[in-house]
Amino acid sequence: MYKWFLAFRYLYTKLIALFGVASVMLCVAMVLVVLSVMGGFLDTVRARSKGLHSEIVLEGGTLQGFPYYEEFGEYLKGQLPGTVELTTPVIYTYGIFRVPATTWTKATRILGVRLDGYVAVNDFENGLHYERYYPGTTRLGLQSMPVAGMSESNVLQLPPDLEAANDKWRRQETDPEAIASFDQGPFQHAPYPYVTPAILGERVYAADLAPPRYEGPEHYGVIVGCDLLNERREDGNFNRYLARGAEVALMAGPLSRTGTTTGEPPILVPLRYVDDSRTGIFEIDSFCVYADFDMLQHKLAMDPQPLVDGGFTKARANQLLIGLKDGIDLNMTRDRIRGAWLTFCASLSPEVSDVDARAMSLAEVYTWEDLQRPFIAAVEKEKVLVTFLFTLISMVAIVLVGCIFYMIVEKKTRDIGILKSIGASGRGVAGLFIIYAGAVGLVGSILGAILGSVVVWNINDIQDLLASLNPQLRVWSPDVYSFDKIPSVVKQADAIWVASVAVLSSMIGSLIPAWIASRVWPVSALRYE
Amino acid sequence: MLRARDLHKSFIMGRAPLRVLRGASLQAARGEFVVVTGASGSGKSTLLHLLGALDIPDRGTVEYNGQNLFQLGDDARRLYRNRDVGFVFQFYHLLPECTVLENVLMPSLAAHSFWGWRRIRRKARRDAEELLDRVGLTERTKHRPNELSGGERQRVAIARALVNRPALLLADEPTGNLDEEVGEDILRLLTELNEAGQTIVMVTHDAKVASHAHRYVRLSEGVIREAGSPGGKAIPVGLATREVIP
Repeated sequence: MYKWFLAFRYLYTKLIALFGVASVMLCVAMVLVVLSVMGGFLDTVRARSKGLHSEIVLEGGTLQGFPYYEEFGEYLKGQLPGTVELTTPVIYTYGIFRVPATTWTKATRILGVRLDGYVAVNDFENGLHYERYYPGTTRLGLQSMPVAGMSESNVLQLPPDLEAANDKWRRQETDPEAIASFDQGPFQHAPYPYVTPAILGERVYAADLAPPRYEGPEHYGVIVGCDLLNERREDGNFNRYLARGAEVALMAGPLSRTGTTTGEPPILVPLRYVDDSRTGIFEIDSFCVYADFDMLQHKLAMDPQPLVDGGFTKARANQLLIGLKDGIDLNMTRDRIRGAWLTFCASLSPEVSDVDARAMSLAEVYTWEDLQRPFIAAVEKEKVLVTFLFTLISMVAIVLVGCIFYMIVEKKTRDIGILKSIGASGRGVAGLFIIYAGAVGLVGSILGAILGSVVVWNINDIQDLLASLNPQLRVWSPDVYSFDKIPSVVKQADAIWVASVAVLSSMIGSLIPAWIASRVWPVSALRYE
Repeated sequence: MLRARDLHKSFIMGRAPLRVLRGASLQAARGEFVVVTGASGSGKSTLLHLLGALDIPDRGTVEYNGQNLFQLGDDARRLYRNRDVGFVFQFYHLLPECTVLENVLMPSLAAHSFWGWRRIRRKARRDAEELLDRVGLTERTKHRPNELSGGERQRVAIARALVNRPALLLADEPTGNLDEEVGEDILRLLTELNEAGQTIVMVTHDAKVASHAHRYVRLSEGVIREAGSPGGKAIPVGLATREVIP
């Protein structure tokens, strides 16, 4: 019992132990901050990666795509009715995004999606900017440009359908701050659709003194990645330079079924900018645009094309996104769908051309994790590496605890002799110092966990404070890390794990001094002055 | 109860061995108060450390109730120090971080496990308080050693030595660090304890202290040279060490 009693008595009477507590505290706080930020980073990457695709993707593996995607979707629903919720095709290709009025261009990845199906299988809708404030108004079909104007009551308003949509959002929005924020500047008016508004705002519409209306020729809509078109501010929001509905254009080259050029000139498609999307992955948000599937399929000659024999080619897509019902095991379902695809291909074989058969043989079934594995694995490795490095640095604490306890044992030699003279064993004395070190580690860990948690919870404010002192001190760039904010969630399990390792490390650090203490001969200790 | 025979002990000082004990022998019967006198450096403390199993002799034996201490294992010797012997040192050797009461309780704490202590802690505390009352420190239980005088510290050390009710009290110059008056108080306390049945072996360089004992022996050049009883005639060495005590 004396071991426990003296260990905790020494803890608050020996000043030197506070240095041990401080070193453990700082190490625990440091590792916890790193683990929380990197863990939060990884979790966000995983969550956002999951939201990019559907649970299961039939990936064509080529730019020219594969046929029979619609038929396979129907086949799958028939084969796995309790598993598959819906399927939706996607086309992707690469091209050039252009703003005609300013002649600004940028290389881009063009995705053709059926918006209703696309938002049903992933989280894409959550990142649509205008769709949030004007629900139901982001469409990829033909449309003109909405122009704000003076209503009969001399109030600047948008066309009635947009105003009605906005009313709907107001009724649904539960956050009063969001509504108050919106009302401070319902929308900024661009005198010309493509000119920077006087005040850089969140929602940009063209406006003039005429009544609110739609004007200009009808074009298909296009959703643009938020980082492709807009300028990201330091607070994570965007300066939007283009009015909603402004005319933009896409250029791309159609490919034949075998992946060669068709001989036709590159397509130039005028479109209307209807919304911007924010997946949270910078590489996607700075590179991708989303257009109507059927329009793009037609423009890229991936819809049925006439053959010399009078027949038609099959329509092609690059991916088939497969949404599952809730609670379905992902990997098992992937394997079942993989089997279903092979069976489906085999069932078609007599009627499928060699070209189509080759394209279908290249298609492969993946889970969203399979598709994002290289990216997620890189982040996972980064997390492990950084945590390992900081843990290695924290090993200094073990050495420090060892040094401190060596000094304590030196100083306590006489006490060790006293204890042995009253019947303490060498093992008991060693135990005393190990428990003492454990107590130092425990207190240091608790304080470190608190300090680390406080730092993590306020890490963005701390960064803002540092950046206000010196902009060079802003270490987290949304452009680089994809996220506006540094992850600021501390997982209880992480805190417990780090604290436990720290307590154990402190005890390990005290082993040599404890062993020395256990070997102290009582007589020599009692003579020690 | 205690019989030390032919104890030899040397220490290495520099290159040459320093032979401190060269065949010292001593006995103490139950209830006896034996004083070992001798000049500084004569080996008194070394002898006491061997009697208390705090050190191991080069040669010779110490028997406690017929059992040679140096044939016992480490754990048994630890139990001997905890249960059968109480030590009082010249420099008190109290734990500075603990209060008077905690210092007195320390042997009891050392005797019990965490759970064992929970069972006996109330009784142990009561016993310790009784002992502190007996040595006149009832009001000082919550003080730290550095808040006490030398005499008070030595009283705490005596209380600590007695808390596990050991059969044998070994005192190493208990008055050596105290002024005469306070030293006399401590000796009176030890005498009272002895009168109550406590066996005491005390070493001191002060021959006057011997007057409190039943018997004294003088250690010189590592062996017992002379023995006697207070006011009595010196007894030949052989008798003093082997034959006087029945």
